[in-house]
Amino acid sequence: MTRIECRDLGARAGGAILLDDVSLVFEAPALIGILGPNGAGKSTLLRCLAGYRRPDRGEVRWAGRPLSSWTAAERGAACGYCPQQFEPAWDYSVAEIVALGHDRSPAGTPIVDRTLQEYGVEALSKRRWSQLSGGERARTMLAATLATKPPLVLADEPGAALDMHHRLALLQRLKIYSGSALVILVMHDLDLALRFCDRLVLLDHGKVAADKTPAAMVDEPGFAAAFRLRLQTEPRRADFDWVIGIG
Amino acid sequence: MKTRFAMMAALLAAALLFAAMAGHDWASPRRLLQALSGAADMESRLLLVWRLPRVVASALVGALLGLGGAIFQGVFRNPLAEPYLLGASGGAAIGATIALLVPLGLPGGPVLAALSFAGAWGATWLVLAVSGLHGRPDTAGLLLAGVAVAAMLGALRSFLMLALSDDTVNLQVVLSWTLGGIQTPDVIGLLLLAAFVGAGLALALWLAHGLDLLGLGDEQAFAFGLDPARFARRAVLVGAAIVAAAVAFGGLVAFVGLIAPHLARWWIGPRHRALMPSSALIGAALVAVCDGIARAVLPPAEIPLGLVTALIGGPFFLLLLARRLKT
Repeated sequence: MTRIECRDLGARAGGAILLDDVSLVFEAPALIGILGPNGAGKSTLLRCLAGYRRPDRGEVRWAGRPLSSWTAAERGAACGYCPQQFEPAWDYSVAEIVALGHDRSPAGTPIVDRTLQEYGVEALSKRRWSQLSGGERARTMLAATLATKPPLVLADEPGAALDMHHRLALLQRLKIYSGSALVILVMHDLDLALRFCDRLVLLDHGKVAADKTPAAMVDEPGFAAAFRLRLQTEPRRADFDWVIGIG
Repeated sequence: MKTRFAMMAALLAAALLFAAMAGHDWASPRRLLQALSGAADMESRLLLVWRLPRVVASALVGALLGLGGAIFQGVFRNPLAEPYLLGASGGAAIGATIALLVPLGLPGGPVLAALSFAGAWGATWLVLAVSGLHGRPDTAGLLLAGVAVAAMLGALRSFLMLALSDDTVNLQVVLSWTLGGIQTPDVIGLLLLAAFVGAGLALALWLAHGLDLLGLGDEQAFAFGLDPARFARRAVLVGAAIVAAAVAFGGLVAFVGLIAPHLARWWIGPRHRALMPSSALIGAALVAVCDGIARAVLPPAEIPLGLVTALIGGPFFLLLLARRLKT
């Protein structure tokens, strides 16, 4: 799948408008960041793009086909969707969760062990969910989501529970992955978004406030305004991982 | 995994042996062997015709309860969900009560099966609708909805029994049913019950992968290619059929559907493909033993099976509930 699009997307919950007339087209290969303040509609947009939420208006198409005509199994195989919250009812082991992610692959059975190794969770494979740290959980879910190498990845704040080192590693991994896939992330880390994404979509009050490259987004007046921040930007020196503001 | 299943099979064998020995007159293993090899004396005949079929029937009913409980816990994503507590068994019992007491002029067996199934299915849907099908219903809401539905159905059943009973024999049958009890079946009944267990296990295994996914939560299950709402409808249908079969043959037997999947999960892990057969094995062993106790504890009278399982299962349930509420 090379292309997903949404047209005139509208979503409401009770009286509140979550999404209002959102039309976007995304094409592979790309790493795309969806940004916005709390309540801007980021997660709702991602859920609509993934098909988990049916929009109240408009439609979503994957590869030109309306999402509603995709079967659950087709969708699972084509897309790695990583929701924001994950709380299993049973105390699965890491290997079991990754195996469940694997099982949605239609053709051939990829080897679970290799996936565990690739995502650095093989040492945890027998550990149960309740015994994992937040970072270990996030890595496990990423491994399960990417296990089938889906051409489309939709992830809602995949780095939220990670420390800085692992957040950076996650983005580096997704950046490489996006070389041959379409990866769309809801992000709160503005610095990582500006640094890694090919394109940024800024949502505010359910509308697309800006849709630009990172370089152009920095100069966009609506960017800082949406977050109600005055931003100071400094170039990062190549031999350092992160710039931290002091004082 | 294989050794664990072997241990479970050994446990079941021990349970069957105990159940076969237990009763008004305790039978030694040697007596049982004599009976099985076709000795013609009176006691051997009694063992062969009355006790052994009943032991097998109790184990089969237990297997159904184990399967039904595992499916209910999987659909509700809650280790405290149980067909009896959530009113499904009560719904099945209403169907059975109507089939037994209302002269419908239709063949008894199929009508009873159909009405039991309809009752179990309807009651389960009522609980699901109240406690919230989407997302994961919280334990308190689920149990309260289940308790309310079960109480309502119990009252309705009592009313039906009072209003419709002009035939005291039938009333007696219904009454003993509500307390849980396994009758010694004839050969056809036993084969039918075994067929239900076989079909139930096959259906439960068919649901296993979907239940695994559902256990990840609605949204993650969706992400891994499952339509959660559609799958839940299908699973409830299968669960209700299994519960209805268990109720038709064994009456209202409490807590086995709670304990069996629980022990199985401790022993073998949460994946449903292994959980289903192990829950069935443990349920079978549990009911066989409880039925043996029911026959042996107050000779020559027999106490209702449901009473034994409630006395054993009640404390188990309270312990689990206390642990769950603490976290």
